[in-house]
Amino acid sequence: MRLFGLFALILIMWSMIMIVSYFLIFIIGPLHINMFNNSTDKLISSIVKASLAIGLVVVLILLLGILKTKYLRKTLLKS
Amino acid sequence: MVYLSDFIINAVIVSALSFLIIFLITPPFIKYLNKKGKTVVDYHKPGKPMIPRPAGPVILIGIVIAEIILYLLILDVKIISLLLTTIIAFFIGYIDDLKTMPGWFKPVTLILAAIPIIVLGSHGNYLGLIFDSAFIPLLYIPLILSMISIVGNTINSIDVFNGVASGFIIITMIPLLVSVLLFGNTNVFLMGLPLFFGVIAIYHYHKFPSKIFLGDSGTLLLGSMYAAISIAGNSEIIGVIALLPAVMNSFLFLSSVKKIVEHRQVKTRPVLLSDDYRLVASKESRAPATLVRLILAKGPLSEKEIINRILILGTFSSILSFISIVIQYSIMKGIISL
Repeated sequence: MRLFGLFALILIMWSMIMIVSYFLIFIIGPLHINMFNNSTDKLISSIVKASLAIGLVVVLILLLGILKTKYLRKTLLKS
Repeated sequence: MVYLSDFIINAVIVSALSFLIIFLITPPFIKYLNKKGKTVVDYHKPGKPMIPRPAGPVILIGIVIAEIILYLLILDVKIISLLLTTIIAFFIGYIDDLKTMPGWFKPVTLILAAIPIIVLGSHGNYLGLIFDSAFIPLLYIPLILSMISIVGNTINSIDVFNGVASGFIIITMIPLLVSVLLFGNTNVFLMGLPLFFGVIAIYHYHKFPSKIFLGDSGTLLLGSMYAAISIAGNSEIIGVIALLPAVMNSFLFLSSVKKIVEHRQVKTRPVLLSDDYRLVASKESRAPATLVRLILAKGPLSEKEIINRILILGTFSSILSFISIVIQYSIMKGIISL
C-alpha cells in the first residue's frame, strides 16, 4: 500500500507528541526545587520547568529530523 | 451561559450566513476576476487553463459578516480578537497575492496577526496536554505568537493542488470543533462554525477541477483562523495533531532547504510533470523533500489521485486527533486514571 509508510510516520509523530505530553505533565510538572525556602524557589522551579519543557520540544524536533532522514533514504533514494 | 435553544439558533444562523454568502458571491467574483485578468496558470492540466485567483476576499466577506452577527447575538470579545487575527492574516496574504514577497515575509508578519488574541486576552493560561493542563502564563505568549504564524504558513504550503487546502481544513475542523465544544466553550464553538461552513462553500469551487484558487490571502486566512480557534478553545494540541500531514510537509521542506524560502524560489523542483500530465517524484538528491514527493516515491500519479491521498492522510490524522480527544475526555471525567 502506497501510503503505509506515511501512515506509520504520522503515527510515530503522534506517539512522540503523546510521550512528550506525558513527560510534561507527570515528570516535569510536579518538579519542585527547594533551595532558599522562600518565594525565590517558585521562580527557580518555573525557570527549570520551562527550560526542561523547551529542551524536550527541541529533542522532539531533533528526533523527527532523524526519523525524516531515515524515511527519505528508505523511500526516495531507493526508488 | 447560553440556553440550548439559543445555542442551536445561533449556530444555524452563523453557519447558514457564512455558507450562503460565500456560496452565492463566489460565481460573480470569479467572473469579476476573469474580467480583470486576475488569473494564473493551472500547470497540472492539459492546455494549461487560466484560473482566477484569489478567493480570499469572498471567504473573508462571508466569515466577517457571520462573526459580526454572532458578536451582536452573544457579545463575546473573543469574536473581535478572532476577527482581527483573521483580517490581518488576510491582508498579509493579499499583499503576497498582489506582489511576490521574499520568503521571510509571511512567517514574520503573521506574528502580528497573533497580537489581537494576546491583547484582548482570548487565550487561557493553561495549555491542554491530553493527560492534563499545564499552567504556563509566560510561555504561552511566545507559543501563541509562533502558532498563528506556523499554522498559517503550514496551510499555505499544502495548497499545491486543486481543493487540497480547503478539503484539508474541512476534514481537520471536525475534531477541532468537537474538542472546542468539550474542552473550550460553546461561544468559541459558535465562532468556529462560520469557518467550517464557509470552507465547505468555497470547496465547491476550489475542488478538482478548480474554478478559483484560494491564493495566499485565502490560505493564510484559513490557517490563522484555525489556529486562533484552537487557542481560544483550549484545543491547541488536538488542532496540531489533526494537521500532522501538513506539519510534516512544512517540516520536510524546511529541513531540506534549510532556510525559509518561497516554494517558487526553489531551483530544483521536488515533483516533475510527465507528458501524460501525471506527476513524478524528482530523482535529484538536491530537490527538497515534500509530502507530495513522498507520495510519488513509489510511482507517478495523476493530480486527482494525489489530492485523494493527501485528504486520506488528513482523515487519518483527524482520527488520531479523535483518539486524543477520547483519552483527554476520559481522564478529565475520571473514566481512566494514570
